[in-house]
Amino acid sequence: MADHQNNLQNHSDQTSPLIEARGVRKTYSFGAVPVEVLTGADLIVHPGEWVAVLGSSGSGKSTLLHLLGGLDRPDKNGGEICFDGQPISVSHGKRLDGYRNKDIGFVFQFYHLLPELSVFENAMLPGMVGNWLTNRSEARKSAGKLLDSFGLSHRLAHRPGQLSGGERQRVAIARALVNSPRVLLADEPTGNLDAKTGEGILDLLAQRHANGLTLIMVTHDPAVAARATRVVKLANGCVVQSSASE
Amino acid sequence: MCVAMVVTVVSVMTGFLDMLKNSGRQIVGDVIVSSGIAGLPYSDEFLVDLKGLKDVQGATPLIDTIGLLRMPYPRGNQKEVAHVQVWAVDPISLATVTDYANDLYWKPAENAAAALAMAEDDPRKNLSEKILTDGKTLIQSKTGNPGIALGIHVSIGNERQRDGSYRPRYGWFMPENDVTLTVVPVSSQGKIAEPREQIFPVVNEVQTGIYEVDHNRIYIPLKEGQRLLRLDEAPLYDLNAEPDGQGRYPVIGTTPARVTKILVRAKQGVSANSLRAQVETAYASFSKRINADPTRNASMPDYVNVLTWEQQLRDLIAPVEKEREMMRVLFSLIYLVCAGLILSIFWSIVVEKTRDIGILRSVGASRLGVMWIFLRYGLVIGVLGSALGVLLAWLVVRNINAIHEAIGSDAPPTIWIGSFVLTGFFAIGLVYAIWRGKLLRILLWLLATLVMGLIATFLALHHGTLIWDPSVYYFTSVPDQVDWTTAWTTAIGGVVFSVIGAAIPASKAADIDPVEALRYG
Repeated sequence: MADHQNNLQNHSDQTSPLIEARGVRKTYSFGAVPVEVLTGADLIVHPGEWVAVLGSSGSGKSTLLHLLGGLDRPDKNGGEICFDGQPISVSHGKRLDGYRNKDIGFVFQFYHLLPELSVFENAMLPGMVGNWLTNRSEARKSAGKLLDSFGLSHRLAHRPGQLSGGERQRVAIARALVNSPRVLLADEPTGNLDAKTGEGILDLLAQRHANGLTLIMVTHDPAVAARATRVVKLANGCVVQSSASE
Repeated sequence: MCVAMVVTVVSVMTGFLDMLKNSGRQIVGDVIVSSGIAGLPYSDEFLVDLKGLKDVQGATPLIDTIGLLRMPYPRGNQKEVAHVQVWAVDPISLATVTDYANDLYWKPAENAAAALAMAEDDPRKNLSEKILTDGKTLIQSKTGNPGIALGIHVSIGNERQRDGSYRPRYGWFMPENDVTLTVVPVSSQGKIAEPREQIFPVVNEVQTGIYEVDHNRIYIPLKEGQRLLRLDEAPLYDLNAEPDGQGRYPVIGTTPARVTKILVRAKQGVSANSLRAQVETAYASFSKRINADPTRNASMPDYVNVLTWEQQLRDLIAPVEKEREMMRVLFSLIYLVCAGLILSIFWSIVVEKTRDIGILRSVGASRLGVMWIFLRYGLVIGVLGSALGVLLAWLVVRNINAIHEAIGSDAPPTIWIGSFVLTGFFAIGLVYAIWRGKLLRILLWLLATLVMGLIATFLALHHGTLIWDPSVYYFTSVPDQVDWTTAWTTAIGGVVFSVIGAAIPASKAADIDPVEALRYG
């Protein structure tokens, strides 16, 4: 906990945080039984960081990621989440949709590609669902460039079902990056891949991080977490340790 | 399909209604002036007044009463007697108000091509112009005697054919026969006088287009009608004076001839209602003038009925109109079925695509954006479905007589033999599917073979079924004009109900929690 506080302090000294979560609590109700998944999680992420959120199954890693990504909201009076100094936990509608579309990108363990769309269409999806009249041509260019750089230019017309797991995850990363977000949120990005393919995906993320992208990656695997610049351990619904990766 | 069905059914019904209305207007004109049983005197002068109105194209007097018509058949003394509606008319002016002259059925072909188109046994092939002239004047030119024109279905002698033409039945070609008309004069006090009868040669027969009319109505010259019904000009006796040696009272004048109705035709573009108002005003002015004249031997009735043709024929038109509206309402329930179908299909899609909806939300799709996806599909289905429905209805309605003719005829051998050949191909496919052992394919090929086999057998055994048999129903053809008002309203209704059907699943999709959705499946 002391490390964690130090880390927060150190970063706040350097630059203003990009994402800031303070005292975040989240409770799910399963029938009449409330389950408190996050009990007051704090996390500060600065621009250019690669933060790995490490924890066992059910520790609230994915919930924290969903909250940071604006897919979910903390409990009432359950803390605050800010992006670039602006609170997102109380945002609604258009502003929150814009945040998910422009400011962040999601990568999921099971890729979550739309099976009816081609590789290229999947990659440019954020450009299609946003203000697509103005963004579509830009998204088209960006998707083409990303898929090319990920070695998927020969797969553009294929459907996700025709791709391998690693290829699918690369398409998912291309989709997450197509609108040039400032933060990439990755939920167990290698969890469904073999070790070698997983390494390839981590290399790809590392490359993007090297280019200045801020990454928050959820994993239960310490080896994967080791690729990050900082590891945050989550246990019992709150951050118990934050330290620079060895 | 729903749109096509509604548009087709309502268009055909509207067509029938229009035909009925059009025929109705052609047989009574635009406005009908009716007086009581005593009749309307000085009709000639009133007709002059009417013809002076700027919106009147023509006017004609007539007597409308009932009578008994003794037919020339069967052979022997016991003749058949028909109960008829007697119209005593001036045929020349009647032709300016109604379609009387055009409705005369027996006439020679207009030209060689029309004659060629007639069947060999069609009596009209051998008719001379004389029969038409006799019908137009109601005078038998051969004898100079007043003639009678019968509604085409008054006698049993006319057998209607599939093409709508007639052939003499049992050898009774009515224009070569005489009939005896019996009418009962009724006094202005409602007392019945001695029935009077007269033999008339049948000079022609009339086909107006409305069965009720053609089954009951006969036409005789106005003068004959006035004489038979004692509505003609008569001496006026001074009953207060002393009778002469033979008991006759001195004649002090004449009472004018009377009619019971006047039909008025409006000029093109003038509404019947507008003309009705003008005729009412004209009558009020005319009756005032006559009644104020002490030299007149008869007075005008204070009140006459002035009705438009629609009011006059409302007993005929209203049931058909009601029937059409009933059909429209009943068929409109199909909308609810469409909306229900779209709702259930889209609901299933939303459930199945829950995770995809979560993905869309995760990349920034708004709730309205997700909703719009489903609404848009509902809109596209509605627009495409309605457009195709209207197109299909248009094709069916425009070709309804050809379709009807095809259904009513034997299937050409090439068609049913071709169908059997196709059945054979399907059977080969079935054998192949059995050999491959794929159950779905076996079922599909089996269904295709059975359906095609049934179609082929039906076509081979089919000898024509006329749904709308012109020899039974009145109109010779089925209306083939699309009712565009109905088409557009139905199409718009189809689009609206498709969108309504899609709106509920679309709202459900918009309400899906993205986190839950991403965990789904």
